[in-house]
Amino acid sequence: MEQKTTPVLKGGSDPNGIRGLPPYLIIAGLTVLCSIGLFSVVSHVRMMPEAASYEATWVDQAFDGLLKLTIPIFSLVLMTLLFSVVRFRTRPGRPHEEGVRFDRSRGEFVEVLWIAISLVLTVGLAAFGAKEFRLIRGTDQADVDIQVNSSQWSWEFFYPSYNQYASSLILPEGKRVRLLLTSKDVVHSFWVPEFRVKQDALPGKVVKLLFTPSKTGTYQLLCAELCGTEHTIMTARVNVVDAKAFEATMKEESWEGR
Amino acid sequence: MTNLIRGLVSFGVASLAVAFLLARALPREAAASLGYLVGLFAFLIGVGGLAAFQHWLKDKEEEQVHGWQRYFRFTTDHKVIGVQYLVTSLVVFVLAGVMALVIRVELAKPGLQFLSYDTYNTVMGIHGIGMIVVALIAIIGGLGNFSVPLMIGTKDMAFPRLNALSFWILPPAVLLLLSSLVTGGFDFGWTAYPPLSVRGPLGKLFFVLAFISVGFSSIFGGVNFVATISQLRAKGMSLFKMPIFVWSILAAGIIIVLATSVVASALLMILFDRVLGTTFFDPSQGGNVLLYQHLFWFYSHPAVYIMILPAFGVILELLPVYARKPLFAYRLAALSFVAIVVLSFVVWAHHLFTSGMWDALSIPFMVTTELISVPTGVVFLSALGTLWLGKLQLKTPMLFALGFLVNFLIGGLTGIFNADVPTDLHLQDTWFVVAHFHFTIMGGAIFAWFAGIYHWFPKITGKMYNETLGKIHFWLLLIGFNATFIPMFWLGTRGMRRRVADFPPDLASVQLWISLVGLMVVLAVAVFLFNMIRSWVKGESAPSNPWEARTLEWNP
Repeated sequence: MEQKTTPVLKGGSDPNGIRGLPPYLIIAGLTVLCSIGLFSVVSHVRMMPEAASYEATWVDQAFDGLLKLTIPIFSLVLMTLLFSVVRFRTRPGRPHEEGVRFDRSRGEFVEVLWIAISLVLTVGLAAFGAKEFRLIRGTDQADVDIQVNSSQWSWEFFYPSYNQYASSLILPEGKRVRLLLTSKDVVHSFWVPEFRVKQDALPGKVVKLLFTPSKTGTYQLLCAELCGTEHTIMTARVNVVDAKAFEATMKEESWEGR
Repeated sequence: MTNLIRGLVSFGVASLAVAFLLARALPREAAASLGYLVGLFAFLIGVGGLAAFQHWLKDKEEEQVHGWQRYFRFTTDHKVIGVQYLVTSLVVFVLAGVMALVIRVELAKPGLQFLSYDTYNTVMGIHGIGMIVVALIAIIGGLGNFSVPLMIGTKDMAFPRLNALSFWILPPAVLLLLSSLVTGGFDFGWTAYPPLSVRGPLGKLFFVLAFISVGFSSIFGGVNFVATISQLRAKGMSLFKMPIFVWSILAAGIIIVLATSVVASALLMILFDRVLGTTFFDPSQGGNVLLYQHLFWFYSHPAVYIMILPAFGVILELLPVYARKPLFAYRLAALSFVAIVVLSFVVWAHHLFTSGMWDALSIPFMVTTELISVPTGVVFLSALGTLWLGKLQLKTPMLFALGFLVNFLIGGLTGIFNADVPTDLHLQDTWFVVAHFHFTIMGGAIFAWFAGIYHWFPKITGKMYNETLGKIHFWLLLIGFNATFIPMFWLGTRGMRRRVADFPPDLASVQLWISLVGLMVVLAVAVFLFNMIRSWVKGESAPSNPWEARTLEWNP
């Protein structure tokens, strides 16, 4: 019964456009407009905090890349949806009508095309992600080692080569540092938004995190893993200073020495 | 009603009596656990569970209870159980929503307003786990129980008593969870990572026990659906003739059966660490804290597909009805559900990119996670293809289905930012993640749930809901929801951590905005509840098939 009452779409000129424009053209135009609008929004709103490590520039590049991928997809799907809703809605008072089904071969073509495109995009995306991740992790070579001891709810830093303890983190600009993270009690997480890279600190284990601060300034270290009552205020000051100042501070006997 | 009251009283009396008696001989936590276990059985007997089994043993028909009384007792009728699930989900939804409101008042300004850190953590945790429970049971338990047996042409579920048991485990578990508010609370969100979860107040133990109970309830439900759908279909209904909603419940049921036992064992290990003195997660005794995270996410990531597959099912079931044409790419959509089931088991470690897990594992898990976008994309293809050249009737259920597509599009695409290892290093544990999963679960599963409720309301109650109020509900919720949650992406990228009670002053204006527009969501839900209650009590009588749908449940 369905077969008889529901007309089947055939190729040829499309009567579903608006004012003589074919629907595909309208959707394409709307998609371009929507993408331009969204790109201008994300370029005017500062999404990321300032980048203060070399790794941060890679993360930001990855983030921008994903925006370039997702905004057009979002626009295309949304505009197709909106076009369909506007163009194919029934107005009140119209007699009851049935929709038009696709003929099978045309439907199958669309299915295969859709899957192929999404597979290619996915694989490409993963390849980019893997490449950028390797760049972010880099080599295991570091100029400075720092032990980071976390506990509920404070941070403590130890510089083995200088035999210095500190309650705030001092880092040399442009030198690659290796943090050796550990926890005395529960899981904590080392995160300085300006450095981007985040790493949990686990009890009973030492986890490495390597990165290179690239900009002098004062930042805040935040615990990013829920760790109990005072998780909210488990923060510490981070100072990135130039390499000379770093050496000088480290050699000062009295500097927070314990 | 008397049954429910009897159950609740037995639960309270039995659990407290046993707990306090045993507390003289046993450690506190062991006594409390056993007390809860005894109380749970007392509750089940109180609501009439024993009677149902006696009928079964004596091979007698269950006595039929009519009217509203039947909703408050242990019954095996799948339609009654469906309504029980729906109403319970709504109650928990409102309770957890109140917690969200408390959170938003606290976060309206920088600094602490009226909560202590501990209370904030507990309120936030109850909001989280409460909404997780809602998302787990609302569509499967509510709409699934009501519609699936009708849609496949069977009288009831395969195991009707198990079905009732699976529902009646929930009320004590929810009560236990709420009671953690006055027993020291819990400060580990809904994830209960050790070692944080193996020490501290009784409230944490209650969370663990409640979680395990919900897990059992879920497994019972899942087994039941898989058995029912695979064995009790009407003659001639082959797999590829099943309505797509039934497909989605089958897929979700398979995930429940395979994955839930894993998280239940992880939580049992926590329970053993607390009560029996084992050291699964104590590194000083050779335990491993990452082990828990793997076990937990081995369930809890597939769990999001337990929530979202039925939502896909509802949407793809409804779109053809309101577009007046058959579902586009039906077979492919059903197969994509199967693909999601398979892939869902090999993606869990994308929650662990920053956990200290071996770095090399991140890449394969990123690949598998991103692969899920292919079957998910098929769902969108199916939806768009169904809308194309349709005759769309923009009734409330259709509006919610369309709203689902918009929200889930945002939720899905922002998921890529979390699945991509480089960006996740920054975004993990920030409000970006919070915004993302609210778009998938609230904008997705909950929107689909609303769509389904409106669609099946005439079938469930025999009354029509008020269309104008339904549309007001939709527009308030769509606009309010997006205005609330879109700014959260920005907060996350700017450096706002998850699960904190305070934030830097430069984020204050956006936080205040979120608190204010969040009230639109509250208003929307209030309109919805008003519409539901009013229409059920004194709505117009509904025709037997008001939407001219073609699935079996609408057959008179």
